[in-house]
Formats: sequence, structure tokens, C-alpha cells
Amino acid sequence: MSGGREAILQSIRSRRLVQSPKPQPYSAPKTEGDLAEAFAQRLSFWQTDVRMLDSMADVPAAVADVLRGKNMAQRVHIAPDSALALDLPGIEVLREPPGQNDAAVTEVPFAIAETGTLAYPAGKGRPASWHFRPVLEIAVLRASDVVPELEDVLKRLGGVLPSTLNLVSGPSRTGDIEQTMELGAHGPKSLAVLVVKS
Amino acid sequence: MTAKPRVGLFVTCLVDLVRPQVGFAAVKLLEQAGCQVEVPAAQTCCGQPAWNAGADAHAVDIARQTIAAFEGFDHVVVPSGSCGGMIKRHYPEVFEKDEAWLARARALAAKTHELMSFLVKVRGMSGVTAQFAKTVCVHDSCSSLREMGVKAEPRALLGSVSGLTIDELKDQQTCCGFGGLFSVKYPEISERMADDKIADALSTKATVLTGGDLGCLLHLKGRMARQGKALEVRHAAEILADMGGEPALGEP
Amino acid sequence: MNLDPRNFQQAAREALNDPLLRPALGRMKTHFGAGRAAAVARYGDFEALREAGKAIRDYAVTHLDELLTQFERSVVARGGTVHWARDAAEARDLILGILRDAGAKTVTKGKSMVTEEIALNPFLEANGIVPVETDLGEYIVQLRHEPPSHIIAPAFHLSKEQVAETFFASHTDLDPKRSLVERNALVQEARAVLRRSFESADAGITGANFLSAKEGAAVIVTNEGNGDLTRLLPKMHIVVTGIEKVVADMNDVAVLLRLLPRSATGQPISTYVSVMAGRRGADESDGPQAFHVVLVDNGRSKLIGTEAQDVLRCIRCSACINHCPIYGAIGGHAYGATYMGPIGAALNPGVMGVENAAHHANASTFCGRCAEVCPVKIPLPRIMRHWRAVEHSKGLAPRSITAGLGVWAFAAKRPGLYRLGASVMAWFLRMMGRRGTVHALPVMQGWFAVRDFPVPQGRTFQAQWKARRQNAAERIGLEGGNSRSRQQR
Ligand code: SF4
Repeated sequence: MSGGREAILQSIRSRRLVQSPKPQPYSAPKTEGDLAEAFAQRLSFWQTDVRMLDSMADVPAAVADVLRGKNMAQRVHIAPDSALALDLPGIEVLREPPGQNDAAVTEVPFAIAETGTLAYPAGKGRPASWHFRPVLEIAVLRASDVVPELEDVLKRLGGVLPSTLNLVSGPSRTGDIEQTMELGAHGPKSLAVLVVKS
Repeated sequence: MTAKPRVGLFVTCLVDLVRPQVGFAAVKLLEQAGCQVEVPAAQTCCGQPAWNAGADAHAVDIARQTIAAFEGFDHVVVPSGSCGGMIKRHYPEVFEKDEAWLARARALAAKTHELMSFLVKVRGMSGVTAQFAKTVCVHDSCSSLREMGVKAEPRALLGSVSGLTIDELKDQQTCCGFGGLFSVKYPEISERMADDKIADALSTKATVLTGGDLGCLLHLKGRMARQGKALEVRHAAEILADMGGEPALGEP
Repeated sequence: MNLDPRNFQQAAREALNDPLLRPALGRMKTHFGAGRAAAVARYGDFEALREAGKAIRDYAVTHLDELLTQFERSVVARGGTVHWARDAAEARDLILGILRDAGAKTVTKGKSMVTEEIALNPFLEANGIVPVETDLGEYIVQLRHEPPSHIIAPAFHLSKEQVAETFFASHTDLDPKRSLVERNALVQEARAVLRRSFESADAGITGANFLSAKEGAAVIVTNEGNGDLTRLLPKMHIVVTGIEKVVADMNDVAVLLRLLPRSATGQPISTYVSVMAGRRGADESDGPQAFHVVLVDNGRSKLIGTEAQDVLRCIRCSACINHCPIYGAIGGHAYGATYMGPIGAALNPGVMGVENAAHHANASTFCGRCAEVCPVKIPLPRIMRHWRAVEHSKGLAPRSITAGLGVWAFAAKRPGLYRLGASVMAWFLRMMGRRGTVHALPVMQGWFAVRDFPVPQGRTFQAQWKARRQNAAERIGLEGGNSRSRQQR
């Protein structure tokens, strides 16, 4: 097997080439104004139900309301070991992975204002597949965790990536049939984001 | 008064053969713009057919001949974005590995211009004295658009022609399907592209299709003639030089 | 279905006559073209972004050995394995070996053009392993035994009725009376059927849009989320991708991520971007337990240092394809190759051989739209022209073309002879022309196949110019005027 490795590296090295210099750092246009507002506005554009809440105390009612709005049972999946300390009166909470018609409530460590993107580094209590299994994902985000751009997420992760880092900007979609957008291709058909201001 | 700039007119092989009037129109416009125009006899074609076919040796010989014939002028003006693009953008590529000729190719490229952009940008012409009481649509050739950066100039000049109205094509970016030898090698694809362009032109209020590149115009007129579609086709220089009364392309 | 690039002309003719293809191409052009234009207009300085993307990719392509070995070290440090495949056959064998070692029987697949390039699916099937494509478009064309017709919209050429037919024929365990009239019904059916595949697959294979050397990560962008289920649900994840996909680090990826979806579909970011670095961590409850990356050369490394090197910068966004008028007329299948349109025309002759893919490089008007929209500024027409020059110098160009060019060039190098020839030609065409145009000639048959040729106006410009100057000179002689009178008129 190492035959291929050496042969390919040899083939690369044998070419006469002019090496291009290390690129200058790029600086993207900066998001103006309030980061959480910009985030909310951009993500809303992508068929996402973004709600601004004053405090964590408002989360249970919002979860119940989102479920009602989708005509779904008052039942959600929350990952075991999730850092979300939620008391959800009247809502059944299951700890096993959600099926394709279930709802999941997830914790969002960071979000990106530039593109309206949720950033989920996988880890304890944050199983990556949960962002793709359910039909409805309700994501809980603190406004103070909205950063300007992806580079800031990388910085906050301290240069060490988790095994999976998922960036999510809206519900699953496809344009594969007649170039017409349909939601819920494989991942969630609906995404709701509860942005908690304090 | 400063001396008149000496302009070498690169006629282009298609104008020479099919539409000499475009050459005379160019001379007239350049003289109106205060230039002293000469037409070197040592010119033939810019060599683009050879270069685009990958026949590099032929392209080198022809490019050398053109450079030698034109490098003495203050400006080289071409009534075609395509042939102009060959000289301006591709001659330096032709001589990429030949330093002596590369320098000459670059020097020539630097002073080579498409006719209408030369009139407007270099000579500051803002209008012409001409009559043409028809509605026209303007076809931008790909080389005019993307190699020579010409788009506003033909419209500015045409807009000054008395009686003329412009009704634009919906799609001003897409190629008409000429592409030199492409039109001969892949006729059916070229045909589809022409038909799309012609449909676009017919959907405007224009009775005349004009543009700055005779190649595209021959292709589009040839296709329309085959189908019996009756748009008048003529090079923009003819209209600007008040020669719009002559029979149009492909008309007896 | 054309599977041979040498049949391009015939296949193109058939495509032009396909009544269903035209509306599909129309939708594709408006959808992607308008989307990109709007996204570019909304972004601040897109030109600066393109320059940055180009610089990042140029650095990578000229430091491939360093970056690939660094990538390998990073993957190994995270418990993964990197495999190197010189060509398609070696890649297939490697992948089969990995799957056999794991006892895998079924694999789900995220979209990967490299696995198309190495024809992985038929090989796996022949060896008793069932590959299931999970990108909706790929899934549809897989069921139909067709290759993708576009690198990011594999089934764009099909109508929803054709997709419904395909599902009725394939999903035979479902109620034959169900309604598949709505697009969403099709999407939901595929979702349900494929979810079972995800849950039962022994391994998942994805491609990679980028590899990040420093972090040992593979990055994919999708809108459906199928790539993630492919990675996350089975026990093993295999990434199959080209060696040129590597860049220095995630900051470089972040820049390229601003270019890729905008250029492709006009989205500022794709719905999902997944950064996949190795196997599941110790404290994680899901994700693959084994992680492999298969790096495929297959003709890429030999392009480094050549006139075609720039094509390795490609990030497979499809913008060049979406804006190509040739592709816009004939679609993707006519190319008979995995990569179609301008990127195919610039890449295929290099990796498949000029003798096989010469049509791809020749079927271009050099209109330049592709290079204008390419996010990493690849001079695509210039590279196509390079392949034409290779074809010409190897004597592979069609005789009819080279012979004609030879005669023409002989004259074009001799202005006196040329002027004479042009005069004869002008006279001849005028003799042949009836009512303004010539309908047919025994030469240039391609021209006359679809169009007439407008008859020359009169004598050539050069002939008329000479006569005019002689007249002027005679007049001057008679009048004794000065030699500048011509300009003074
Ligand atoms: S060549 Fe450029 S435009 Fe075409 S797919 Fe590659 S990156 Fe995109």
C-alpha cells in the first residue's frame, strides 16, 4: 500500500514548479450592528423559525408553542448528558436518539452572524447525528454565543477540532427535482431556534 | 495644435472579404475623430483561427507579420472585438516563451483598441452625425465584452444617431455560437445557440440587429437567411458612419 | 447514454433532439445563473474574495506533498488511516479491501464525483457489496442506471414525472396506488426509504469538498444532510477524494466556503457544512468508530508544473458548467465523462488523454464566460486551447481541419498572395450567391449544414482601398496638390 504513497509523492515532487507564496490573510466584510439580530435575520431568510426570548425561563413555553405550531405531540428528545438544564412541564422528554418523525431539542454552543449559521461541535451530550435524525429540531442558543464569523468559532475551539463540527443554516432542503426547492430531504424538515438574550 | 495621431487600421479578414464598407466606415469615423489613418498592405488575418485550433507555428508566423506591420503606429484600431482581442490578449501568450518577440507583442497589445472604444475612450468622441430611423438591438460579442471590456461605448455612440432607438436583448452575456471554426466543427450546437440568440432578438422591438463583430453577424445573418427570418443585420460602424442606407448584410 | 467521450458529436446531436432536456436546461440556467449573480452582488468585494481563494488554492497545488503528508499525520493522530491510490483501479481495490476487512455488505454513499470517476459502484456490486447513493439526485440516477448529468445537480435533466416512474418501478414494496404527483411526495418517499439504508449500512462513503491539512479534517457541503447521516450512522466512514482537495488549514477552508456555495447555487452558505475529523471521540455517543481517507491521484499529479496546472485549483462548484452555452445546449451526458462542461474540457484531456477527450477541448467558442465566473479564476479557455495545441502537435486533429488551416495559413503568411486569393474568393462568392446569400459550397460543410453565407458586398476592402488611393494620387498629380489632401477631406 505504501507503494502508492511513495509513487504519488514522488510524482508530485518530480514536477518543475514555481511555488506560490503563502496567501495573505483574508478579511471578510464585517457584520454591522447587533450580532444576534443579524444572525436571526439571516437565518430567518432560510425558512427557519427564529424566536428571541428574554430568558431561559421562556424556553419551555416556546418549545410547547413550536410543537403545537407543527401539530406535533408534546414530546421531545433531548440527548443524555445534554448541558441543557430544562424543566419542560407538560412535555414528555425522551433520551434516546430521535426517529425521522420526532422532535429534538438541542444545545447550540456557537452561532455565526455572517451567514446565520448554528455551529455544533460534537462532544459529550452533543451527539452530531441528532441534527439530522429528527423531523423538527428546536435549537437553544444564547445571544452571547453569536460570533461574527466562522473564523471566530475556530478560534474559540482553540485550534482543536472535535471529531465532527456541524454548521447548520436552516432545515434540510433539496433542489434535485426540477430545480425546485423542497424541505426535509434527509435532515429536519423544520428548524426552530430559540435565541435567549440573557 | 498637436499632430494627428497615426492610426493603423487592422481591417480584419472578414471585413476585407465580405463587408468592405465596415472598413470605410472605420476610416471615416477615425478621421472624424482627428486621426491620420493608414491601412498597411502587409496585413492579412490576425491568426486567431490558427491559434484557437492549436496550430501554434502558424499563429506565430502570422502574429510576427502583423506586429511588424503595425508596431510603427501610435495606435492600432480594429473594427472587431475578436481580432482586437487576439492582438491585445493573445499575442503576448503566443510569444510567452520568446522574450524578444514578447516585448514587441506586449507593446503592440498596449496600443491596440476595438474601434468604438477607441473613439470614445481614447479620442473622447461623444456622438456622431448620422441618421438611422430604426430600432436596433445590440449583440455584444464575447471578446468585446470579456477581452476588450467594451459594452457602454457602442451604446453611447449608437444613442447619438438621429432617429435610432435601442431595444436591448434580454440576455446580453451569452455567446451566439459563432466561435470561428467551432461553427464549422460543431454546427448543430452552434445552430442551437444561434437560434436562442435570434429568438431573443426577434422578441425585441428591433428591426435591426447590430454589433461590433462581423463574425457573429455573419453567423446570425446566415442562420436567419436559412430560416427566412427577416431581421436586418449590419455592423455598428456602418450606422455610425451614416452608411446605414446601403444594403444590409446578405441583402442584394 | 453516452459513456465514451469520443462519441461526443453523435451524443450531442441526440441531446439537442431530446425534447425533455431543453426545459430542464432552461430551469438549470435560470436557477443557478440568477442565484449566483444575486449572491455575488450582495457580497461586498467578491473580486477580492476570488483572489483570496485563488491564492489559497495556488499555494495548496504547489505544496501538495507537504500538505498531504501533514494531512496524513493529522488524520493518524486522530486514529484514522490514510490510503493513497495512484489510479482508479488501485482506489477501487483499496476501498474494497477496507470494506472486506470490516465485513461490510452494504454501504451508503454521500455525493462524490471521485467515486464516479473511479467507477466504484459497479465494482462494489460485482464484488457483492451493495452501494446506495443517498443524495437525492444521485439516488435517482442510480435507480435509473444513468451517470449524473451535472456535478452538483445529478438528476436535473429529469422531470418529476420521470422521477415518479422511477420510484414506482423501484420501490415495489410500497403501495402501487400511492400518489407521487407532488415533488414533496417524492422527496418524502426517498427520505423514508433511504433512512432505512442509513440505519442498516455497515459503512458510509463520502467525498470531500476540502481536506484541511493542519486539522486532518475532511469538509463536505450539502443541502440535504445525507452526507452527515452517511458518516454518522454506520460504524465506519470512508472519505474518497482527489489529492488536490487539500488546503493548509481550516481558516483557508473558511475563505473557500464563502466562494463555493455562492458560485454553485447562489447560497451564502450551504445548509450543512460538515467538518469531519477522524473517528468518534471518547466522550461521544455517536459517530463512526473507524475513519479512512482514500487519496486518489488518477492523473492529477502529472498536471502539476504543466500548462494545465491551474485546473487543479478547481473546487468543483459547477459555476463554469452552469454558465456554459455549450453545456446549456447539450447537457451533461453528451460528454461521456464524469466532469462535463468547461471544467471537463480543461481537465479530461489531461487525465483521460487528449486522444479520448479532444472533443471536450474543441467544443468551445472560447466565449470566456466560464473563466469569468470561476471562483478560483481558472483560465479555462486557455487550458482548453493548450489541449488543442497538444492535439495538433501530436497529429491527432482531424485532417479536414488541419489541411484547410494549412492552405489558409500558407496564404495568410504571404500578404500579396492573400490579397489575390481574397479577391478571387470575393468574386467567386458573388458569382455563387443568389439574392444576397450563398446556400451551399463543397467546402466548409459544417457552416452550410445550418446556415447560408452572406455574399460579399463587392471587391475586397484592400482592392477598393488601393484603387481609392491611386485615384487620389492621380488627382493630386493633376492638381499639383499636396500629399495630405486625403486626410483633409
Ligand atoms: S473550474 Fe472553476 S467554476 Fe468550474 S467547477 Fe471548478 S472552480 Fe467551479
